[in-house]
Amino acid sequence: MSDHHHESFKLNTPEFRLLNNSLDRRNFLTKTSLGIGALALGTLMGNRVLGNVVSSIASENPQATLEEEILRALPHFAPKAKRVVYLFMSGGPSQFETFDYKPKLAGMFGQSLPDSVRQGQRLTAMSANQSIFPVVPSIYKFSQQGKSQTWISEMLPHTAQVVDDLCIIKSIHSEAINHDPAITFFQTGNQLPGRPSIGSWVSYGLGSDNKNLPTFIVLVSKNASKDQPLYARLWGNGFLPSEHQGVQFRSGKDPVLFLDNPQGYDGADRKEMLDYLSKLNTMQNEPYGDPEVQARITQYEMAFRMQTSVPEVMNTSDEPDEVFELYGPDSRDSGTYAANCILARKLLEKDVKFVQLYHQGWDHHGGLPAGMAKQCKDTDQPTAALIKDLKRRGLLEDTLVIWGGEFGRTVYSQGKLEAKDYGRDHHPRCFTMWMAGAGVKPGISYGETDDFSYNVIKDPVHVHDFHATVMHLMGVDHERLTYKFQGRRYRLTDVAGNVVRDILT
Amino acid sequence: MVLDLTTFLGHLHPLVVHLPIGILLLAVVFEFLSYLKKFEELKYALSFTLLMGFLAAAVASGCGYLLSLDGNYDPLTLNNHKLAGILLAIVSGVLYLLTINPFKRLLAGNRPLFSGLSLGLFLLVNYTGHLGGTLTHGADYLSLNWIGAEVLQKPATVGDALLFEDLIQPMLDKRCAQCHREGKMKGNFSVHNLADLIKGGKSGSAVVGGEPEKSELYSRITLDPSNEKHMPADGKTPLTADEIRIIKWWIEKGMAKKGEKISKLKDVEPIKPLLAKALGLGVEISNPSDVPNSEYRINPDIPEGVTVGLIDSLRNHGLSVRIMLHKPLMLDLTLPSGSGNKLNEAKPFIRQAAKNVVLLNLSQNGLTENDLDFLPMMINLEKLRIEKNPITDAIVHQLEGLTHLEALNLNETKITKSCLDRLKQLPNLKRVYSWHTVDK
Repeated sequence: MSDHHHESFKLNTPEFRLLNNSLDRRNFLTKTSLGIGALALGTLMGNRVLGNVVSSIASENPQATLEEEILRALPHFAPKAKRVVYLFMSGGPSQFETFDYKPKLAGMFGQSLPDSVRQGQRLTAMSANQSIFPVVPSIYKFSQQGKSQTWISEMLPHTAQVVDDLCIIKSIHSEAINHDPAITFFQTGNQLPGRPSIGSWVSYGLGSDNKNLPTFIVLVSKNASKDQPLYARLWGNGFLPSEHQGVQFRSGKDPVLFLDNPQGYDGADRKEMLDYLSKLNTMQNEPYGDPEVQARITQYEMAFRMQTSVPEVMNTSDEPDEVFELYGPDSRDSGTYAANCILARKLLEKDVKFVQLYHQGWDHHGGLPAGMAKQCKDTDQPTAALIKDLKRRGLLEDTLVIWGGEFGRTVYSQGKLEAKDYGRDHHPRCFTMWMAGAGVKPGISYGETDDFSYNVIKDPVHVHDFHATVMHLMGVDHERLTYKFQGRRYRLTDVAGNVVRDILT
Repeated sequence: MVLDLTTFLGHLHPLVVHLPIGILLLAVVFEFLSYLKKFEELKYALSFTLLMGFLAAAVASGCGYLLSLDGNYDPLTLNNHKLAGILLAIVSGVLYLLTINPFKRLLAGNRPLFSGLSLGLFLLVNYTGHLGGTLTHGADYLSLNWIGAEVLQKPATVGDALLFEDLIQPMLDKRCAQCHREGKMKGNFSVHNLADLIKGGKSGSAVVGGEPEKSELYSRITLDPSNEKHMPADGKTPLTADEIRIIKWWIEKGMAKKGEKISKLKDVEPIKPLLAKALGLGVEISNPSDVPNSEYRINPDIPEGVTVGLIDSLRNHGLSVRIMLHKPLMLDLTLPSGSGNKLNEAKPFIRQAAKNVVLLNLSQNGLTENDLDFLPMMINLEKLRIEKNPITDAIVHQLEGLTHLEALNLNETKITKSCLDRLKQLPNLKRVYSWHTVDK
């Protein structure tokens, strides 16, 4: 590199005149009016509106400063969980064949669901026109397992071994009845697309504990039937700065797309190149103050560090055989749910804050017994193995594990009911999730549903409550982590949500 | 619109009212000073001053009348104040007239009579002002009753305190009584005593035993501050989260009763630290595991903070620092694996922060117990990760004083069973991980 590169940039060529004279009308108005507005705002709101968070409001860029003040107050209380791994069972796993044991249904096979239970509640268009709603009990047996004597399905023999570590919530309920709004609701706290995902909020609020890896990493199983789609906006950053979006790691040669150097380039001067690019971007950003430019700078630098860190963390070749045996036969095949569980553990070991796994294929409108058998076979052992592995390594101390889908399934059969075959439609009014690890009580069941698992009868937990609780475990008061967008302040739980204190240790 | 203007002008009364007070008192001062040779000239200013005083008093009376339409004041005091105010305006007007032609002649130069009338004016200003003050601030605002009053005994323990009398009443007095009390019952509601609370105001009973959600008092103080119905209204200091919690608890568990000792109630333990704080007593937690919320279980020995720049120094020396809490400052330090060689340089800073470190992760750094000589200083350490290091049984000596240590990760170290046995002496140690050591 020649010497002139070591001077700071001198951009006096005509091409850069516009940039150099960039205090144009729009910028002038924006800057000055924001300044005046901020002064007025500061006087009007004082310290009251945002609680104790705001102690001073500088005039130059009120938005940034307010946001900074909000971030500076974090964490609001000592967090129990340092990391989260969220095993998202996409499609809506049935609670009847997994955790919500309903013995009274046994004698009711084929009987019509009493109106007193359904109470005219809405159904999906897929089963609303059925002439009868025949009740169908679980084809699979349940037994009591563990010291906690928790009822659990025979389809989950491995999960049964770790049941004393789980906090099973049987009274989760959602507002959405179809996949897209329901999964969007779980991921972002709103049924319509556009809000930041839960992992992005965590990344934005709490930052990173490992500068070499993204704070929010997503892994999607390849060995699941893609009955319902997944899309990147589910782990998107919404209106938060884009470096907080979830980064998907894929199986195969390129875990992160476009991370490798192009062919024929050895990458030796990559760092130098990025440094100059960063300078240019900073200059460009000075007059405009666009947070996306800042985000882009951050992402380039992260990508550079990931060129080393990602291959290292994705490499499972030095894991002993015993680990692969624990996670099951699929675990040697990269990209399967089992392999992703091992990867998740490795990422958590590296203090990645939010890891989210997705496993599709739980949408059993028909052929449920066979479908559940496959899904459970693919996920039961790896899930239990992840708990066991985290536990023996001491990581369950400060890792929160979450398992669950976007809604549950109906007590009545959808379509033709046969002795050995049935289907279940979407049911958002009650379903089961579990959490384990940091800060949640192990070996308990929380919430109850009626005999038909149709309505919650005790301790309901809304999706917003679930979000509030996860944020609480991470040390965040969900009411105080806000971000201003389109003229108002948003939070993950928006205007709702109560922390479920009864399940906290 | 008309109504709004009335209200607005009415609200000007407390502002305008100070003008006649000042001006008329000044007039009286002029009148008496002008007896002195030195201030003789002041008598020429008297007429004008009285005129100004009269005009101000008239405006103040007008505004005052509009304000009185708002209601919510003690009717008797209000009536007296109104009459005195109008009288004051009239008297000042009459006095003014007596200083100008043609009425000047009526006095026929009887100066002592005029001075007497001025003295009357002085007394009237005071009387009217006093009544006005009583209306806004309460009869006991400027009172000497405390001289003879019996000092309330502060309860010795949380259990001895009376829930309503020692905790709730003072809170309500502090936050609500300025507007809701005898003499100024905004919304026809007073927090003066429990009977008044149960009687409630315009919106019905303020407290319903056992049901905070149905209690108007509770719902009003928990509304969003932007809501018009939120109390305290108009930017007055709101209740703190702690106060709200205690009030909720009183309605819930205390069934909104009075004369109840806290020790008589059930499930006190979870909220005890809050009550103690509100009563100004030391925190006493008999059984920490009864306290459900992490907010409460903060080790009081942790220093509030560290020297400015220390956290940056730690970071600059290769440590990853996670702030777990700001006050007191709780730190989670991690030495990234494979950077054990950086530890020596970082040690002076680690020692400075030792008491603030709650979580420490030194795993996989090739460290021996000799490298960890700072551990005994970390008396507030709760979780320690030193797995995957060539650490031997001698580590026990470093850990002996760590009475808060709750979890210890010794996976893949060189410890033996005797180490684990000796660790049992640590009072709070609940979980020891020893995978790939004694248990393979």
